[in-house]
Amino acid sequence: MSTQTLDAFQVIADPSRRQMLMMLSKDSMTINSLAENFDMSRPAVSKHIKILYNAGFISITGIGRERHCILKQEGFNEVQDFINYFDKFWEGKLKKLQMILNTKSKENDNK
Amino acid sequence: MQKEIKHTFYFTQNPEEVWAYLTKPELMEQWLMPSDFKPVVGHHFRFTNPNNSFVVCEVLEVKPFTNLAYVWKNDWAVTKTPYTSKVSWTLTPIEGGTELLLVHSGFELFKDLLAHNSGWMLLCNKLGELLKVPKK
Repeated sequence: MSTQTLDAFQVIADPSRRQMLMMLSKDSMTINSLAENFDMSRPAVSKHIKILYNAGFISITGIGRERHCILKQEGFNEVQDFINYFDKFWEGKLKKLQMILNTKSKENDNK
Repeated sequence: MQKEIKHTFYFTQNPEEVWAYLTKPELMEQWLMPSDFKPVVGHHFRFTNPNNSFVVCEVLEVKPFTNLAYVWKNDWAVTKTPYTSKVSWTLTPIEGGTELLLVHSGFELFKDLLAHNSGWMLLCNKLGELLKVPKK
C-alpha cells in the first residue's frame, strides 16, 4: 500500500475520516476500538488512520500493546487559515466603513 | 478550532444611518463590494470581487435597523472552491451611536459539501494552495 499524503481539505473530504476525527474529538481511542465502529476491513481502517496521521490530524502513541490515536492541532491549521482569511477580510472592511462614516460626520460638523 | 468570526464595531451614527451602509448597494460599494443587493428575504444577489469573481448570496433575514443575514458562498460554477457560510449583522442603539456586530459562521457546512463529489478533490487542492500563498 502506498503512503498517501493528502492536504487538509482532501483529508476531511472523506466521510469515514471525518467520523474518525469526530470520535477522537471526544476522547482518544485505540485503533481497535476505532475500527469496531466502521464497516470496513482492518487494512482499510489502517489506511485512513495513516492518512490522518500523515496530514497531522492525529498522533499515535503506543500504550502497552495498544496503539492510541489522539487528536492533534496541526492538521486543522490549514482549515483554520481559511477562517482566518475572512477574519482579516471583515476587519479590514469594517475599518474602512468606520473611516467613511467618521469622515462623513466630521464634514457634517464643519457645516 | 474557531468556527465563526465575530467583530464588534462602534459608530457615532444612529442605527438607521449604519443600516443604510449595509443595505444600499451604492453605499455598500464604498466599503465592501459592488452588488445587486436588495433588503428582501429570499433575494439572490452577488458581490463582485475586484478580480471579477463573485460571492453568491441569498438574503435570510431582514429586520430593518436591527438585523440582517445572508448566505455567503463563492461561485461554484466558476471558481469551484466550495464553501458556504452565513454572514449576519446585528445593530444595537447605544448612547452616542450604534454597536454593530458581525458574525460570519456556518463554515462546517463546507466540509460536508466536499464529500458530495470526489471531483471537488482537485479543486480543494487548489484552494489549499491558494491559502498557503499569503502565509509565506
